[in-house]
Amino acid sequence: MICYNCGCRLSEHDFCTGCGVDVGLYKKIIYMSNRYYNDGLDKASVRDLSGAIVSLRQSLKFNKNNIDARNLLGLVYFEMGETVAALSEWVISKNLRPKKNIADDYIDMIQTNQSRLDAINQTIKKYNQALLYCYQDSQDLAVIQLKKVLSYNPKYVKAHQLLALLYINIEEWEKAHRELLKCSQIDTNNTTTLRYLKEVEHMLMPEEGEKATNKKKLFSDDVIRYQSGNETIIQPINMNERKGVTSLLNLGIGLIIGIAIAWFLILPAQIQNAKAGINSELRVVSEQSDAKTATIDELNQKVQSLTDTNATLKEELQSYQGTDGALKATDGLMMAVSTYLANPEDIETIALYMESLETEEGDNVTRTASFETLESSFLTLVSPRLATHYYDIGYASYRSDDYENAIPNLERAYRYDNTNGDALFYLGTSYRRTGDNAKAKEIYAQVIDDFPGTEKARNSETYLAEINNEN
Amino acid sequence: MIDFEEELKKFHPSLEVEDAEEAIYNEDLTDMADILIKMVAKAKPEEE
Repeated sequence: MICYNCGCRLSEHDFCTGCGVDVGLYKKIIYMSNRYYNDGLDKASVRDLSGAIVSLRQSLKFNKNNIDARNLLGLVYFEMGETVAALSEWVISKNLRPKKNIADDYIDMIQTNQSRLDAINQTIKKYNQALLYCYQDSQDLAVIQLKKVLSYNPKYVKAHQLLALLYINIEEWEKAHRELLKCSQIDTNNTTTLRYLKEVEHMLMPEEGEKATNKKKLFSDDVIRYQSGNETIIQPINMNERKGVTSLLNLGIGLIIGIAIAWFLILPAQIQNAKAGINSELRVVSEQSDAKTATIDELNQKVQSLTDTNATLKEELQSYQGTDGALKATDGLMMAVSTYLANPEDIETIALYMESLETEEGDNVTRTASFETLESSFLTLVSPRLATHYYDIGYASYRSDDYENAIPNLERAYRYDNTNGDALFYLGTSYRRTGDNAKAKEIYAQVIDDFPGTEKARNSETYLAEINNEN
Repeated sequence: MIDFEEELKKFHPSLEVEDAEEAIYNEDLTDMADILIKMVAKAKPEEE
């Protein structure tokens, strides 16, 4: 501290030891200046920039030569975005103390970088333009300008405040709140910022304003408030949740809701899916069944066809094999002819083979024309001898009352020689004596017809009358 | 409730770089010490 009169260094006395002038009051003024400077420094260190400005300006009012206060004031202005004000203070500071003054560095920092200086100038111009728009009621344009300003200089507190004011005017409370929070981060105790914040928070949470007396304590003591993006989260602490019954009740309700959702939404869909699956499987099985049924039908038809073919082939085979007697008859005739050719006198063998040609009633034997011709020709040769052969055997059997043996031989005898009336007569008598009166009558009638006027005919008439009388 | 017009009146245009020189020149740097010195200087002739 130096004397204002002579420039001597002052001692602890209240007078100047150089010139003797009273410096008591002067010292107090200097002390006050320093005190305000210290206060400003404390406030600046906690970012109470507005408060720091007030204190530092007060300090400079007491002592304009307080270089530290002036430099600090310039710094505070610069931090708040008031670059020109900061430059003014630093320039004044430099003029008051040209040497060993940190203000030189501050001024050089700004002025040497011309682009930065231009940017700062443009920022200020845009801010002033935005303010003009506000006066002209062109608030949209003002908002646009202010956003540009803040993009260049994010720490410009006045721009933030003006933008917040515009948002408040159009009731964009969230945006206004955001801008004011940025302000408060730069300058914590700015009165304007705090006033706007109060208004905005009141609009964002109106019920708290109405119940201020009751809720104020709650907000002050029992809540945790923090910012999460664009939202303000207010979380009550020390809030005792009712446990026990409430938890069980909530659990029960949740369970019921879950079951209801599953029953009405999930289960029908699953049932539908299951049904669809079953239907598709059923469809597949039905298709397979139909295919197999078709295959079975086809195979049955094949079986039937093959069976018919087999039967036809069997018939053909049988016809070739002679089960109906045709082949057997052909063999018999061949053998008979063969025997005759070998030994014409062996009539017994010939007769035996010829018996194979005989067919029973009901047999449907097919004989070829060649066979018929051969048989006819052969019988022409052997019929008389065969007739005699069979008549001899038949008559001998008749005479010995062996009617069972007599009948077939006498039949054969008459067949091979239909002029042999005796064979026919004895045949009728054989039938009569064996009790076959119907056959006897038939034979007798034939004798009467074929051999009329003979003794055989007369005897046949007699026997026929007897038979009729018996019936 | 904030009155937009009233609040707007509190906002003043900022000094541009071109205006800095004039602002510095117009700055009144009189402080308490200067006032005290003037007062002392004024009182001295009266005593004499």
